[in-house]
Amino acid sequence: MAASNSENDSKNEIPSSSEAEQPQFQAIRMPTMEEIRAQEVWNNCAVRSVVSGVMVVVIFAGGGLGFFMGMFLGALDNPIMQDEMTGRQQFVYNVKQMGRRSLSSAKAFAVMGLVFSAVECVVEKARAKHDTTNTVVAGCVTGGTMSARGGPKAACAGCAGFAAFSVLIEKFFDRHT
Amino acid sequence: MAANNTPAGIDKEQAFGMAETEMEYRVELFNRLAQTCFNKCVDKRYKESELNMGENSCIDRCVSKYWQVNGMIGQMLSAGGRPPI
Repeated sequence: MAASNSENDSKNEIPSSSEAEQPQFQAIRMPTMEEIRAQEVWNNCAVRSVVSGVMVVVIFAGGGLGFFMGMFLGALDNPIMQDEMTGRQQFVYNVKQMGRRSLSSAKAFAVMGLVFSAVECVVEKARAKHDTTNTVVAGCVTGGTMSARGGPKAACAGCAGFAAFSVLIEKFFDRHT
Repeated sequence: MAANNTPAGIDKEQAFGMAETEMEYRVELFNRLAQTCFNKCVDKRYKESELNMGENSCIDRCVSKYWQVNGMIGQMLSAGGRPPI
């Protein structure tokens, strides 16, 4: 304590005996225009959603999820043509199928992440509040668009399911921070 | 001597006093603005250290409205002198 005080006193060249707390507090520094602009980049909805989509792809590819999903989904419907190809050719064919399948699911996940992030960003900006309602609406829209092919009933089910899933994930992450 | 004075006839001490009053007014305005918008927009249960986007846009809108109201009332007071009922 005494050593740090003497160090701080040696730094202050202006003798300020009246303010005893000058070594502790510093003056308020307003952010410069560059700092404001650098922070504003992250507030843009388009930038945020694109970065989210890319992050989903990176996590999917880097975490080995793509490998496993391709393997399991490829094993479900795999035409085993034993009499036409040798073992090695079959192995190469299986690997190619796995890669194709994992690529398509990576694309689907990226689109999902992008849509979810974009909708959540827009809704939160419009409401000017940080709530779980934003997550619910974003999840509903994402789930609805992903399963809109199956008709209105499937869209409603997808909406409700994905909204519940995203709320659960949000609560899970909130408890950890 | 006429060259030293401004056309309005304000001397140095008066100008200094006016500048000091103006500075106090500005500081008070800034403090009030920051406190009001912080109390209105930021939830007291601090979950993270960065501002969310919702809080960010709330603060933008709060500051803009506060500034508008301030300008409007300042104009009304400076023009009429008597606030209209």
